[in-house]
Amino acid sequence: MIVLGIETSTPQTSVAIGSEQGILAATRVARTHGGDEVVAPTVRHLLDLAGVEPSRLSGVAVGLGPGLFTGMRVGIATGRGLAQVLRIPIVGMASLDVLAFGVRYTRRLICAVVDARRGEVFHAFYRPMHGGVAREGTYQVGTAERLVGEIEARPEEVLLVGNGALVYRRVLEELGSQVEFVSAGHAFPDAAALVELAVPRFVREEADRPVDVVPYYVRKSDAEIAWDRRARSA
Amino acid sequence: MGATLRVLAPTGEDTRAVAAAIAQALGPGDVVALTGELGAGKTTFVQGAARALGVADPVASPTFVLMRQYRGTLPIAHVDVYRLNRIQEVLDLGFEELLDEGWVVFVEWGDVVDALFPGSYLEVELAVGPDESREIRVTGHGPVWLARWERLEGLLGEWRAA
Repeated sequence: MIVLGIETSTPQTSVAIGSEQGILAATRVARTHGGDEVVAPTVRHLLDLAGVEPSRLSGVAVGLGPGLFTGMRVGIATGRGLAQVLRIPIVGMASLDVLAFGVRYTRRLICAVVDARRGEVFHAFYRPMHGGVAREGTYQVGTAERLVGEIEARPEEVLLVGNGALVYRRVLEELGSQVEFVSAGHAFPDAAALVELAVPRFVREEADRPVDVVPYYVRKSDAEIAWDRRARSA
Repeated sequence: MGATLRVLAPTGEDTRAVAAAIAQALGPGDVVALTGELGAGKTTFVQGAARALGVADPVASPTFVLMRQYRGTLPIAHVDVYRLNRIQEVLDLGFEELLDEGWVVFVEWGDVVDALFPGSYLEVELAVGPDESREIRVTGHGPVWLARWERLEGLLGEWRAA
């Protein structure tokens, strides 16, 4: 069971190929302007490196955010396209879940925090347990100050993971010894962890319908464009 | 509403030249909202600005692809919201990320999505005149354009309407 993982919802693009036996090949690349173009060539390159024909892939896993739209659009479209062409199943995973899963060997409560830009972070809490993590509550978006308040209300130590925690480190450091920050080397959701999480889903044949593999919004706008302010002249 | 300059561009090439002059005043994260009926020269304007910002690739209308991106001395995004109906569809293009990442963003029909713009942006209205001529009204919104206004007046001196 060989699975391709694509995680593009943060400024670090990550692609991995793996199976029940572990990771066959993986990359993590920091994106710069327009760097989303690296996804498809990276997939090709990794398949070559691992000596895996595309026809041997059994499934595609993609990170669904919440995160940056530019990256998610490219990663999800690439994953859906490959799944369709290769006629293999696809699963989507929340990037905050992937981030928390990557640091599961702790007894502390985990808080995954991704930079949402515009002065806000996406975050969720996770309880480490045998074999993984269990999310407590929903995905949220808000300021780092609001997150400080939420953590203060919890009577326990918290491990903060993600680029959002590092961007707002000075704010979150107000929490003192209640929190520890996971370092920059593990600050982005990693496709290797995504593959590890997804393999059991494919084994259990619990794939998603491709139409359901869409970005997590969290901060969704229902507003309509103010076309009524002007006639869309033809 | 900020200060407005009115300039006259007798030909399409003049529209490009006016855009090129305005481009001299643009910096990372700037938004230029373009308005004017279909065929008024919104894409022509972006062609001139992009060329001045070092883009060698041909600049075509983004109406059917929603967004085109170019790399010049600054990264440039050319967005057209004409076919969109919801603010979320504009956000899905990564609009806010473009601004955060320092792209210069040209938005056709931008006036209808100004709620997404930063506090300062430039509005360019193109009105069709006789033959190929265009009247171009340039309005600076917010403190950034207030501070740049004298410079912009200088850059556009040659084309200013009486």
